[in-house]
Amino acid sequence: MLIKLTGGTVYDPASGIDGKKQDIYIKDGRIVNQPGPDVQIDKEYDLSGKVVMSGAIDMHTHIGGGKGNIARTLLPEDHRMDPVHRTDATRSGTGHAMPSTFVTGYRYAEMGYTAGFEPAVLAVNARQAHMEMADIPILDKGGYVMLGSDDYLLRMLTAKKDQKAINDYVAWTLQAAKGIGIKVVNPGGISAFKFNQRKLDLDEKNSHYGVSPREILQVLATAVKQLGITHPLHVHGCNLGVPGNMNTTLDTIQGIGGLPMHLTHIQFHSYGTEGDFKFSSGAAQIAEAVNRNKNITIDVGQVLFGQTVTASGDNMRQHANHKHASPNKWVCMDIECDAGCGVVPFKYKDQNFVNALQWAIGLETFLLVDDPWRIFLTTDHPNGAPFTSYPHLIRLLMDKSFRNDMLATIHPEAQKMTTLASIDREYSLQEIAIMTRAGAARLIGLQDRGGLSAGNWADITVYTDNADREKMFAKPDYVFKDGELVVRDGTVVHSKWGTTHIVKPDWDPSIEKDLQKYFDRFLTMKVGNFKISDDEFTDIGRGSLTAHPLKGEVA
Amino acid sequence: MSALTFSLIHRPDQRVDMSPLVCHLLKDMEPAQIAAIELQSGKRKIRVDELFKVSGSDTQQIVIENSFGKLDFIGKELDGGSIKVEGDAGAYLGLGMKSGEISVMGNAGIYAACEMKKGFVTIAGDAGDFLGAALPGNKMGMKGGTVLVKGNVGERAGDHMRRGNILIEGNAGDYCGSRMTAGTIAVMGKTGRNLGYAMRRGTLLLWNQPVLPASFNDCGAHTLAFLPILFTSFRKLNSKFADASVAFNRVQRYAGDMSEIGRGEVLIKIG
Repeated sequence: MLIKLTGGTVYDPASGIDGKKQDIYIKDGRIVNQPGPDVQIDKEYDLSGKVVMSGAIDMHTHIGGGKGNIARTLLPEDHRMDPVHRTDATRSGTGHAMPSTFVTGYRYAEMGYTAGFEPAVLAVNARQAHMEMADIPILDKGGYVMLGSDDYLLRMLTAKKDQKAINDYVAWTLQAAKGIGIKVVNPGGISAFKFNQRKLDLDEKNSHYGVSPREILQVLATAVKQLGITHPLHVHGCNLGVPGNMNTTLDTIQGIGGLPMHLTHIQFHSYGTEGDFKFSSGAAQIAEAVNRNKNITIDVGQVLFGQTVTASGDNMRQHANHKHASPNKWVCMDIECDAGCGVVPFKYKDQNFVNALQWAIGLETFLLVDDPWRIFLTTDHPNGAPFTSYPHLIRLLMDKSFRNDMLATIHPEAQKMTTLASIDREYSLQEIAIMTRAGAARLIGLQDRGGLSAGNWADITVYTDNADREKMFAKPDYVFKDGELVVRDGTVVHSKWGTTHIVKPDWDPSIEKDLQKYFDRFLTMKVGNFKISDDEFTDIGRGSLTAHPLKGEVA
Repeated sequence: MSALTFSLIHRPDQRVDMSPLVCHLLKDMEPAQIAAIELQSGKRKIRVDELFKVSGSDTQQIVIENSFGKLDFIGKELDGGSIKVEGDAGAYLGLGMKSGEISVMGNAGIYAACEMKKGFVTIAGDAGDFLGAALPGNKMGMKGGTVLVKGNVGERAGDHMRRGNILIEGNAGDYCGSRMTAGTIAVMGKTGRNLGYAMRRGTLLLWNQPVLPASFNDCGAHTLAFLPILFTSFRKLNSKFADASVAFNRVQRYAGDMSEIGRGEVLIKIG
């Protein structure tokens, strides 16, 4: 079947195309070159006047793993308020802050997203995370595997094992848990919490292992680089949400010594201590450091006002924030003696000074970082806001007068503490396409995704140009996933299953001997069960694995 | 104008969501429009006139005849007007009701008067578990108004209750008044195990000696001046509670639950 998309205005930063009228051909799920004049077109879509981009990729969104189910269990009222009925094309479910799996897939697709990456896959719980994501329709999925507070790695660091041994362990864990990147959350801090430490600075030692967050970041970032994993070490830094943590973040950037590093939801790590309330914006300093250090990429973790729930592996910081829980109920727990988890519902209010300033800090960060290839559009779903608020966020970035109108409504003291009103920048469609498509695909190391040139998979979103960018991005005219039309006029018309993206770095098989002993002695499962096999993805008849090349490898 | 009457023609196998049939939603609607309302029943939708014979026209005075225990959500968020249920009511009777009156001739199911805000509910028979409680996961149950049950009630009566009165002429099941934040529950009959479990504040008023959990402390015998005032306020009720002979002002007072903040009280009639 040959599909032709005729006459759309194409924004494809991956091939440097910025708003050019161009036809696109789709055959067998992929984009192909113009097949010649006499080839019969089976289906043609007239896209004249429409905006065409590749399918959007959310590179940091909590859509799988146990914390999601804890959040769902904790907040039945959130589900009761947003029931989703079945249609001929879709199944029923519930929505709002932490939607059910099926609704997650539908609502992402209905905004033109075709892939989402779960940033906190605990290796010990990876099977559940993947099974949950296997229930998310339409989207491609992938996960970053969490290391850094796991007992085995911390023991290795205490024993001063060499980098090679750590690389082997990282590669082994990544493959066992079927991830595409490595994530570290409050390095060493999740573990330190269990030894009664309630905060852990970059150079403070975990009292049990004698290891500091800085050392953990160093060895993991080195491992990721030496193993050739494209996605840089994905870092949720120390001191999340603490006023003054901007200095920790600047230190982290300095301390990594030029190694590739992705600092996630950086908004929560960009706080100063100035002003009457001892809480101020550090966005300008952070943005300046990001602009200067080309090895650093960030995503924002924008806060938007309203009810949501925060779900994080960072039990230390979640425990510290539990007093702000709204509604007043929360969960902090250990996971298999190897990780942690904290779920705290939050209601961000525009008339609350701190929340209002968080909102402004996120936007300042977006607007002050120059290179759209190194900053990504996230709300850290659901922590800053549910992903369904992305169109609103895009409008804030693309429309200065709208942004200033919103700014005028927030807490007056917060207005005084932000430079937002003086920033004139408005994102262009091309810059949005970079942040949400081409840049994200490049950052994660996705081959054949995030672009519209021949050879790419046909993940395509078509919008009607509208000065109200919120309306435009909330309701695409068409969304194609692997060449199949899944959304028409912002509604799912056909459901299908995406693939799971992974990488396969090598390791020395001899390390399994020691791991086996360790698992037998300490962990809750056998090493053989810990490793997820390929057929666990394919046997259910809807999943598949797509392995992407390592750096330096030829595909 | 005669009361708008829904007379059940047959009992469906599946439960029925009756929430569209409340006074404030039917106001200004023509009889034909009301007959055409679709009610969710299991996975089907059934027209009102398929299920009920509809007569009368006063939408502020609703009567449900031949009612049975699968008619759920009767009087949901009722905001003024009255609903009389001739027969049993299903689950979630008067869920979140804001004002008005509901009376049930028979029994009510689970979660009757759940998260009720104001108004008056009478149940002539028994009520199920979670009378005047919060929905699962919610932190606030009944916030105001009065519920009168002439029969017995199930477990967890007044769970997470915040304000208002629950008056029970019969017995209460286990965990009566659990996790109460405030409000009053009066039980003339017997109470079950774990009375006042994790209650923070609020009053349990009892005619019979309960088995109290170990986390309640005896505060001695008291003569409380507010009790006659409270009983006077019950005078207008069509209930044993209105009878001057049941009133008392001398009580043994227990404070608890000490495993919570312990500001709740259990008052037990002396003599």
